[in-house]
Amino acid sequence: MKTRTTRQEGERSMSTSTTEMAADPSARRGRLRLDGVRKVLGGKEVVSAVDLETEPGEFLTLLGPSGCGKTTTLNMVAGHLSADGGVIEVDGTDVTGTPPHRRSMGMVFQSYALFPHMTIADNVAFGLRMRKVPAAARRRQVEEVLEMAGLEGMAGRHPRQLSGGQQQRAALARALVIQPDLLLLDEPFSNLDAQLRVRLREEVVALQRRIGTTTILVTHDQEEALAVSDRIAVMADGVIHQLDRPREIYLRPATDFVAQFIGEVNALDGTATGGDTCEVAGARVGATPVGDPPAPGACVRVYVRPEVVRVQTGGDGLTGTVRETRFLGSRIRCVVATGAGDVTAALPFDARVPAEGEEVTCAWRPSDASLATR
Amino acid sequence: MAAVGRLTGDQVSRPANHPRRRTGLLLALPAIVIFALLFVAPLFTLVANSFRTQTGAFTIGNYARFLGDPFYREVLWNTLKVAALTTVGCLLIGYPFALYMRGRSPRVRNWLALLLLSPLLISMVIRAYGWLVVLGPNGPVAGVLAWFGITPPQLLYNDTAVLIGMVHVMLAYMVLPLMGSLDRIDPTLVPAAKGLGASGWTCFWRITLPLSAPGMLAGAMIVFSLTASSFVTPAILGGPKVKLMPYFVYTQATTTLDWPYAAAIGFVLVVVTTGLLLGYSRLLRRGRGEVVFG
Repeated sequence: MKTRTTRQEGERSMSTSTTEMAADPSARRGRLRLDGVRKVLGGKEVVSAVDLETEPGEFLTLLGPSGCGKTTTLNMVAGHLSADGGVIEVDGTDVTGTPPHRRSMGMVFQSYALFPHMTIADNVAFGLRMRKVPAAARRRQVEEVLEMAGLEGMAGRHPRQLSGGQQQRAALARALVIQPDLLLLDEPFSNLDAQLRVRLREEVVALQRRIGTTTILVTHDQEEALAVSDRIAVMADGVIHQLDRPREIYLRPATDFVAQFIGEVNALDGTATGGDTCEVAGARVGATPVGDPPAPGACVRVYVRPEVVRVQTGGDGLTGTVRETRFLGSRIRCVVATGAGDVTAALPFDARVPAEGEEVTCAWRPSDASLATR
Repeated sequence: MAAVGRLTGDQVSRPANHPRRRTGLLLALPAIVIFALLFVAPLFTLVANSFRTQTGAFTIGNYARFLGDPFYREVLWNTLKVAALTTVGCLLIGYPFALYMRGRSPRVRNWLALLLLSPLLISMVIRAYGWLVVLGPNGPVAGVLAWFGITPPQLLYNDTAVLIGMVHVMLAYMVLPLMGSLDRIDPTLVPAAKGLGASGWTCFWRITLPLSAPGMLAGAMIVFSLTASSFVTPAILGGPKVKLMPYFVYTQATTTLDWPYAAAIGFVLVVVTTGLLLGYSRLLRRGRGEVVFG
């Protein structure tokens, strides 16, 4: 009698959740909010006052060098580390003090953390067992998720019998089968070789778009972050330096750290002249201010990526002499010595290549560069 | 990690005539020689002796005498019981200790290991006499019990005394292999299980405990076989009332001077202990292989 009741409940929860997955995005769950979250480890504040809010279904990346506090932040979200201050909320519920096994988070670890003494099927079924899903429903869900992860026929194998990529997929399947509020990925691609890494991350993004689970990825790989994220939070020394869409992070870095950490950048010092203009080495250049426009006369710094710099003869912009040009295949690297120092431009391969020693003007669209106070 | 993990085991095996394989054999040679000369050869002599009468004729009488005598069967049973209880005792005390040690810094761990090994630094005889004082009628244990108004039970010259003394010595043999096993468990497995909804207890029963089985097995084998064959501690703490196999080997060999019978008793112990350990390890391995789906 009792068994029958549970079974029916199990089937019902299964079908409702399927409808939930297909429902319109506004009904989606998985809104994570961090408010002033702090963590002190070994007397050092490794995460200081992190604020963050995700949209349901968003793919958000915590990007930063090792030791920046990104993994610590993720572990606090998962509940493996307790926060020393601040509030963590999921869909409006405060989970700051909730132990990890009572939060609904699917996590994929860097080492995958598959249970070596269990088969792939048992690994994937583990979370369902813990949720007391009846055997029949459990078996069906495991089968479905293994198929989704492309692991048909691997159910009976042990983790050590799988390749790195397959282990990664099994870990993902195990995290997703419990239909978590949030999917947490801790450097999940870093143990794979370069080609496989790109392929698997494309697969993960496609899967995430399809099922719409809010996802937090932790990585130190800026290219990976740019490629997969809806938004990126760039972290250093326990602080979020900038939280924005990949394009903004790349073209309009807010701080020196963000500018230097992601790709190559021209950092030009000048003086604000009001609005989105400033004076650099006697020339008037445009750039989008970070936050409020700096007051005229303030010391500012312009960040311009080499890809957005045009090298032309005449016109408005920063004038200088071509010091060096180099053919790099997809791009031509051109270094112009200006009054504000060297400016590097990455020209398209079919652009006119200026001769070394030629007098040129470097220009860019103001919306493609950022203006920050020094 | 996974990519590295795949490049081990059979893939690096070499042909029999490979120079490096010969070097490996050379390295093991001293140990093999010592084992062959000092263990295997004497064991054969022991077995041969056990099938002789005092005058040297072939007989199976020694074994018939042992197995036909309820007293000796009782002694065998008691020996196995004390060894098994010591093993269980070491496991119950040693496992929590190993878990505690695992979470500590290397410095603290070194001190704890030293603490664990300290009983082995003292002579067996002195250690056993120490327990005589501690557990004796005028010792601290009896004193504390008396202070609480409890009449102290007989603590010496029984199985309990032997058990206490043996667990004290054997604990290190249980904890050290256990530590090795626990250290090999990927530290992210427990957080992974918790994230999937497992409580601390469930993590222990389903992750930590099964993955430390090799260490438990190794520890249990060492403790069981060393206890079953130990002589000094049981003799001093158990006195004449606790009758264990090694004691009878000793009396047959030194008092009665019946060497063939002593050899037979010794060999029975070897066979029974080995058989039990083999069965135990097979049981454990099969239990781990049978992970049922669904």
